[in-house]
Amino acid sequence: MTGSVRDMTLLDLDSVMSIERASFLSPWSEGQFRDELARLGEGRCWMVVEEDGRVIGFGGIAVFGDEAHVMDLAVESAYRGMGIGRRLLLSLMRSAVEGGASRMTLEARPANMAARALYASVGFVEAGTRPGYYTDTGEDALIMWTPGLSVEAVEAMVTADRGDDLVLAIETSCDETAAAVMRGGRELLSSVVASQVDFHARFGGVVPEIASRKHTEAIVAAVDEALAEAGVGFKDLTALAVTHGPGLIGALVVGVAYAKGLSLATGLPLVGVNHLEGHIFANKLADPALEPPLIALVVSGGHTALVHVPEWGVYHTLGETLDDAAGEAFDKVAKLLGLGYPGGPAISRLALEGDPNAIAFPRAMLRSGNYNFSLSGLKTAVITYVEAEKRAGREIAIPDLAASFQAAVIDVQVAKAVRAAEEYGVEAFCLAGGVAANAALREGLRVAMTERGIRFSVPTYDLCTDNAAMIAAAGHFRLQRGAFLGLDAEAVANLALG
Amino acid sequence: MGLTLHTSNERETELLGRCLSGFLEPGDVVVLSGDLGAGKTHFVKGVAEGLGVPESVTSPTFNILLVHPGRLTLYHLDLYRLERAEQLEDIDFWGTLEAGGVSFIEWGDRFPEALPDDHLDIVIDREDVERRRFDVAASGERSAGLAVDWVRTCGQQEVPE
Repeated sequence: MTGSVRDMTLLDLDSVMSIERASFLSPWSEGQFRDELARLGEGRCWMVVEEDGRVIGFGGIAVFGDEAHVMDLAVESAYRGMGIGRRLLLSLMRSAVEGGASRMTLEARPANMAARALYASVGFVEAGTRPGYYTDTGEDALIMWTPGLSVEAVEAMVTADRGDDLVLAIETSCDETAAAVMRGGRELLSSVVASQVDFHARFGGVVPEIASRKHTEAIVAAVDEALAEAGVGFKDLTALAVTHGPGLIGALVVGVAYAKGLSLATGLPLVGVNHLEGHIFANKLADPALEPPLIALVVSGGHTALVHVPEWGVYHTLGETLDDAAGEAFDKVAKLLGLGYPGGPAISRLALEGDPNAIAFPRAMLRSGNYNFSLSGLKTAVITYVEAEKRAGREIAIPDLAASFQAAVIDVQVAKAVRAAEEYGVEAFCLAGGVAANAALREGLRVAMTERGIRFSVPTYDLCTDNAAMIAAAGHFRLQRGAFLGLDAEAVANLALG
Repeated sequence: MGLTLHTSNERETELLGRCLSGFLEPGDVVVLSGDLGAGKTHFVKGVAEGLGVPESVTSPTFNILLVHPGRLTLYHLDLYRLERAEQLEDIDFWGTLEAGGVSFIEWGDRFPEALPDDHLDIVIDREDVERRRFDVAASGERSAGLAVDWVRTCGQQEVPE
């Protein structure tokens, strides 16, 4: 790590002034810095970063009551992009919360994208503008605020930067109650899914499902089990992470309420994770070297989305299903064929024995020119086919039907995935969500991507379906970004990815 | 009172829903029944279009309840995945119906005893690949008024029982 952080003194003023003049159109005067340093005991805090005895960056804050304002911050140009600004901000943040502040704010020039990205990376969110704030250019200032901060929250961010953080994650977005403990966003210490047979056998009668009540019954045991398997207690943890959307509201609220309660009782900071971001992060667990820019295809019982990820934390949804999700189409066709519900896996098994070219089902939206999907037409085509065959008194070759249906779904998914990867020029592609367990879809995408020299990632089977390990991985990232949830946070059924 | 409507393709089904949306009032409950692929979700897409819902309406099977803000809030429910009537309480079924929006319930016929006294029943049948038949029945005063207004304005034919 470059440099060390310490308090600023009058002796640093020459170096500070030279960085200040090189960095800003309208630099502060030396007199202004002297005035600030004279008020160090009165809610002011100024720090420098030193490398080989030389000052390479500095920053300062003023604390007014429970608000800390960032007054100035600059890094020598040769040392930018090395995380020095981030360390300065975290040090100033720690000083701010120790001085009684619970939120931090600053003004940024809209055109200064590097500064805005730095501030966003430690939790600052754009909250408004101050018109004409910069008198030199007449530019408006962007006003940015952090969420509520505590000493524990800032400590947790620093710990996460070191990779030593221990995160307990909770996931209850739909049918599964899950908890996991992870160190540093990559070392999985435990992952408990309450519907798993071993858990079920030990805790008896807990079959998590739609009902909030069932999540409520399972969540305490799932968390206890995750902690016990990891061999840690609440006091060892750095932070809590919880899925706060999207999903079934009655299920989400159980996880969010429980996590908020834990946060209040233990003082542990809490971060919120988008369920779909969690699915994408499952790929990072399976393939630690995976880096954006990438395209992700998230396919499950409730979601079908093609997402462009230019960098971690930035998600542009390119297309979604206009009607049924892919997993839902599999499940409904299975039901139609008398294979039970949900029956997606049964279709995939039967498809192995069938001919994918036996029946020419429609490839909906294949040439739509956009990245949206539509699966209800295919479902209706299968129904129409089955009825026509029955009327004609013909026996339906179920394996052929399953294989042909599956091929129709996969062809469109692969074609759109390939087009997105090529249009956005990414070198990596990842598949995520419960339907990522479908072997034919995995294979189809693997072949198509590797043929084009694109790195292909897919999680292990247990990380494809809903679990809390993926929420812990994304939670580590959210923790570094300072994306804390307050105790007033609520579950959001249709939480957008982005 | 039984009324019947027909549509000859998916777009007409959506337009029929769009036309119904003009007569909806807060608290209205519409129950949609019909086999897989009948067009229940497509019908609700049309209702949403008419209510000025900006986002696209997708199948609520997985989430059970999707909420779409519009001129009136559209509560789109799907009881397909529920196994027992007691699970209705877990999804705050009755609270949702009384929340001041309009509720469209797919597969609501799975739990007939749970439905409010006054609701509109629409049963969609596939007559062939494209054509659909809508059998409309009202169970109370409000739904009867709604049915008559809708069918009179939007229906191609009216068949009194």
